Amino acid sequence: MPAGYPHQNSVVFMLETDICGLRLENPTILASGILGNVGSSLRRVARAGAGAVVTKSIGKQAREGYKNPTVIKIEQGYLNAIGLANPGVDDFGEEIKTAKEGGVPVIGSIFGFSVREFVSVAGKMEDHGVDALELNLSCPNVGKAGAFFSTTEELTYEVVKAVKDSVSIPVIAKLTANTGDIVAIAKACERAGCDAVTAINTLKAMKIDIVAGMPVLGNKIGGLSGPCIKPVAVASVYEIVKETGLPVIGCGGVTTGEDAVEFLMAGARAVQIGVGVADRGIGIFRKVAGEIEEFMKDHGYRSLEELIGAAQG
Amino acid sequence: MTDGVYTVKIKDIVKETKNIKTFRLDLDLPALPGQYIMLWVPGYDEKPLSISYPGRDMGVTVLRKGATTARLHDMKRGDILGVRGPFGRAFKITGERLIAVGGGVGMAPIAPLAEKAIEMGREITVIIGAVTKSELLFVDRLERAGAEIIITTDDGTCGMKCFTTHALEKELEKGRYDECFTCGPEIMMYKVLEIAKRHGLPTQVSMERYFKCGIGICGACVMDDGGLRVCKEGPNFRDVEIEKFKDFGKYTRDASGKKVYW
Repeated sequence: MPAGYPHQNSVVFMLETDICGLRLENPTILASGILGNVGSSLRRVARAGAGAVVTKSIGKQAREGYKNPTVIKIEQGYLNAIGLANPGVDDFGEEIKTAKEGGVPVIGSIFGFSVREFVSVAGKMEDHGVDALELNLSCPNVGKAGAFFSTTEELTYEVVKAVKDSVSIPVIAKLTANTGDIVAIAKACERAGCDAVTAINTLKAMKIDIVAGMPVLGNKIGGLSGPCIKPVAVASVYEIVKETGLPVIGCGGVTTGEDAVEFLMAGARAVQIGVGVADRGIGIFRKVAGEIEEFMKDHGYRSLEELIGAAQG
Repeated sequence: MTDGVYTVKIKDIVKETKNIKTFRLDLDLPALPGQYIMLWVPGYDEKPLSISYPGRDMGVTVLRKGATTARLHDMKRGDILGVRGPFGRAFKITGERLIAVGGGVGMAPIAPLAEKAIEMGREITVIIGAVTKSELLFVDRLERAGAEIIITTDDGTCGMKCFTTHALEKELEKGRYDECFTCGPEIMMYKVLEIAKRHGLPTQVSMERYFKCGIGICGACVMDDGGLRVCKEGPNFRDVEIEKFKDFGKYTRDASGKKVYW
């Protein structure tokens, strides 16, 4: 336990959680795309109290991504269109090694433009030493007319199955709510042998500057995250937990311990924190963990297990 | 402080040198010396730029370098730009007798720093360096402000014919300074830090890295080994922080996050 942790022993006990075999000292996880491109940055977040960290989505080759503006603040949230910028899987081993010095599970987020690419990157990330994989399915399958993996059951099943068959570490699929039926997609993941799902990825969105008369993001369209998407995310978690046997990681607008508790009560076993870092700094993980513990004490919950799924009727 | 993108008109454009222009915007933006804004050139890109004129009719001073700054240089009074900021940790003046080293367009944050120092009643010597006389930035401005000025040019067309670092070395031998500031090419700053350290002078360096978000979440600009974010904990770092950086003076990272060695 790092020095200066507010409620040392009790926190370790009360906030411990596990998800698909990963043991977390507290249920806060750094979301993919936030401070995850460089090993020393991931290690810093781990040491600042995150229960686990997820890397930036890594692909087969280095990509510079879209032009700026790539991230902008709007009312109640943030818009981003980074464009899968990443240094490429072959150069990422050193970063993973550094990240692991943080002493918490390191989850490697990966993407590909084909099933074959996903499998190739998955294998390399496993070799780099990540503790689990998170599949960023919100990217187009170039071979199949650019349909997003995350939006059809068939493509989701195919890619999850192929990755599962090729690695021996846990595989988590990150799902989007930009689909007709997120539960159906989650069920496809389950059939493919997926170990857990993260719900949800950002929601498709745009900001137009009316003075300039054009969209602000370099890519024009981007993904919405932050407090404004939390209710959508909570509903997705709730339904997936109800309809499948999959462990779920909640993601979308977690800024406070109360937000995290909401996700846990919906049935999530852990929560990811992303743009909350902009509002509360890198210390947000320790703060949220402390706030969850405080809530539990105030309301008579003795362990996280009692909290998880409490709102499932 | 503008949280989202704030679009404003260009109020005035000043041609400073052949390749450097100052853009004064119709915006009152209180900021401290060394802070920066993210400047959106609609339809092109958004770039982090040191604020060269804080406060009323806030200004940035920009070198024409790539497609976006070329577009900016072609813009006219009344054209629209987007601003986010001010962001970042400012220079902190603690000494009494300061010396600052600005290389090329690196003078942009040094000029408001010198003005602020003089306003606070401190003495400041500014070493202004450029390739040639016509590229020297803010000489008249700082003379007017009452700073002591040392000019260096690579080709000797004005001032001393040497690099700023040589002038610094010579000046520090006088032993009258107690704090040093620098902004310019990284190799120059690396040497400035080395020289200042040899003379026992605390130094603040204005770091430059590829920025995306500007608000400390994307991770594009982090320094090894501590993971400090140039956009948030920087861009101005103290010598004691910089000494822990593995990448300063050695490598930077491109937009993909790949290391690029100087």
